[in-house]
Amino acid sequence: MAIYVLKRIGLAMMLVWLVATLIFMILHAVPGDPAELLLSQGGVAPDPAQVEELREQLGLNLPLLTQYWNYLSGVLQGDLGSSLQDGHAVAEEIWLRLPRTLELIGAAALLSLLIGLPTGILAARRVNTLLDRVLSVTASVFLSIPVFVVGTLSVLIFSQQLRIVPAGGYTPPSKDLMGHLVLLAMPAGTIAVGLAAVVFRTTRNAMLEILGRDFVRAAHAKGVKEKRIVVHHVLRNALIPIVTVFALQIGTLLGGTVLVEYVFNWPGLSGYLVRSVEARDYPEVVGIVLVISILFVLLNLAVDLLYAALDPRVRYAR
Amino acid sequence: MSINLSRRTFIGAAASIGATASLPFLRIPGARAAENGILTFGLSSYPPNLQPWSQSGTAAGTVKLLIHRGLLSYGPKGEYTPELAESWANENPTTWVFKLRPNAKFSNGNKVTSADVKWCIEQIAAEKSTAFFRSEFQGIAQVDTPNDETVRIITKEPISTLPLWFASYNLPIIPKGSDLSNPIGAGPFVITGQERGASITLEASPHYYKAGFPKLKGIQIVVYADENLRVAALQAGNVDLIEYVPWQSMDAVAANNALKLDAVDGPFMCLLFNGAKKPFGDPRVRKAIAHSIRREDIVKAAFFGRGTPLAHLPISNDSPFFNADLADGWKYDPTLAKKLLAEAGVGSGFSCNILSTAQYGMLKSTAEVVQQHLAEVGIQAELNLPDWSTRVQLANRGQFDIAVHGTAADSNDPDALTSFLDGSLPPSISRSTNLPVPKIQTLLKAGRAEFDLEKRKAIYHEMEKVALEEVPMVGLCWRKQGYAMQSRVNGFKNLPGQLTFFSGVTLEGVSLA
Repeated sequence: MAIYVLKRIGLAMMLVWLVATLIFMILHAVPGDPAELLLSQGGVAPDPAQVEELREQLGLNLPLLTQYWNYLSGVLQGDLGSSLQDGHAVAEEIWLRLPRTLELIGAAALLSLLIGLPTGILAARRVNTLLDRVLSVTASVFLSIPVFVVGTLSVLIFSQQLRIVPAGGYTPPSKDLMGHLVLLAMPAGTIAVGLAAVVFRTTRNAMLEILGRDFVRAAHAKGVKEKRIVVHHVLRNALIPIVTVFALQIGTLLGGTVLVEYVFNWPGLSGYLVRSVEARDYPEVVGIVLVISILFVLLNLAVDLLYAALDPRVRYAR
Repeated sequence: MSINLSRRTFIGAAASIGATASLPFLRIPGARAAENGILTFGLSSYPPNLQPWSQSGTAAGTVKLLIHRGLLSYGPKGEYTPELAESWANENPTTWVFKLRPNAKFSNGNKVTSADVKWCIEQIAAEKSTAFFRSEFQGIAQVDTPNDETVRIITKEPISTLPLWFASYNLPIIPKGSDLSNPIGAGPFVITGQERGASITLEASPHYYKAGFPKLKGIQIVVYADENLRVAALQAGNVDLIEYVPWQSMDAVAANNALKLDAVDGPFMCLLFNGAKKPFGDPRVRKAIAHSIRREDIVKAAFFGRGTPLAHLPISNDSPFFNADLADGWKYDPTLAKKLLAEAGVGSGFSCNILSTAQYGMLKSTAEVVQQHLAEVGIQAELNLPDWSTRVQLANRGQFDIAVHGTAADSNDPDALTSFLDGSLPPSISRSTNLPVPKIQTLLKAGRAEFDLEKRKAIYHEMEKVALEEVPMVGLCWRKQGYAMQSRVNGFKNLPGQLTFFSGVTLEGVSLA
């Protein structure tokens, strides 16, 4: 097991390095010069001499491989560099914003599990009934509505009409915990709508497959209580596909909460990434992608290890 | 009487009671605006930086107007107003003298002195400076400080428009020896907290020189990048004031009795050319294009009717330099356009590209309308709509045939049009490239050197006449730039014309009823 984990970590580090290198090179290849952009703010004309001076100051005139080597050396020492826009430490900014995005994803994940798991189990147990059909159709609808539509409708209903929550924004929990949770509710709920539908469908399908197995029939024949059969025999066996799909969804959300962060003005990592790409802020973009890649790889590793915990038949001997 | 209460019923009832009871608490954050003399201001973006002398965009400009002051500023009608300098005059054509206020102080309580002003000018003009006014300051020959409250600026040539520089939000005065990444200002507010990317907290400066100002205890800036969310936050009462009111929402805001809309014709839209690309080096072709565009369509399509057609240079009707005789200089006239194209030898039409961007709807829609109208006179234009960053690079390198641009000048004085009209300057996002018009450059220089208003008017009228024939750019329309606020917000004024982005200066006089 330990060897397996070490091997996976080694592979993960290679993968992360590859992603960072790829992003670094692609960013420098696409049009758009950070110095020009900085000096063209407000649509004004920058003086070419000033652009050149700023490029010099920012180290953008160095050969690309030198820039890459400097960056990589910094990363190996835990320094993700400084923003080209205001000189702020990239690592500091990421550590400020990452918890906000993780909190958003965590709250959405929790909500989606609370809704998707029980309704999926219920639909599977009452397959082909009216309840199953209603739940399945509802899930399909929730899956098809784009996240920005759910978000915009939420703002219209809960902020503008009912006025029970503010129309987006962020308050640090240390400053106002209640206000923080209220502001978290709408964006987390918006993500949870689609995610719950995915959990519902995966749970229902996985449960249906297991419910038809011989050991379930045998358990019924032995007179085991229905609740015990569902929770201990069926659900446990159905958890592997559910965990797989759920983890993939969460992984995608790590860099994919852009629209929700934008619509609800949530200052997380995804919005930061988009703004950094727009400004061609190379250290910021590479730093964020690096962190997201690491999290994604760690999440995958955690899921693989979770399989073994969920299903004793799964073992990682080599 | 007995009640049969199942566990399920009990949980359901408890949840309902809990949800109902929590509603009053949920309302708390929604009613934050206008508490305790703190104004909540919904800004459209988080400033990329707050470096005092850099042009870092209009959001940064607004914040700088809260924490800094320059020698001069602008009043509600767009007139110069004294700030750190209580008076100014030109002793002779190449010498300007500014008298500083004896009570002007930075937010740390230190007095603003002529040494601070001199140091700022030297830093901006320095060889390695990236300040917005660096190239202008190369025209300064000497700065004298005969005493703590007098600054004498001697220029290499007569510059009548020098006060414009010192009224800009890109030229605040900061203490000598400041760290530019975190300078102290002499403005009405000080920054006391920042959530990067989300909000900025400001409190009234106890050392601001104007007695009784600022009227607010503080300002809470909250960034709402999404324009619809910004309006929703205002309508829901979460913020007191917002900038960049989207054009499609202006009617709804104006019709709401609880809100006020203050919109002015400020920035303008225009077309730029690459003179090195055939046939745009020929002024007849550029003039033909100027006459082939029905500007009302742009106002409707890109700005929901919230704008005004502009068929001449961007000099507003309110300006003393406006010439009504030239106002329709580039009026829609497709027959004339076809005639001019025929005279230029391209009567059968030609193909070209229009550089704009898909990132901003107004620039994309404007390009689409222009494309349609050019097709009507036989010019087949292909749209190039990259992201904004790419668009900036392509424009700055002159890689386009025609470019759609939208911007505002630094002031309402026609000298501010220099960076848009002087084609001898290097290629840039904001002017035509490879298109020098020596007569325009000569007239702009003459206007800058002239101190008599009537003579300046005559110079700029002549310059506009030349521009209408040579077409270094094509004016398309003015667009409304709007601020919206709760009706309880008093004292805020959207400054006229191209000074709209300087309106943050009026926040010192804002109060909440």
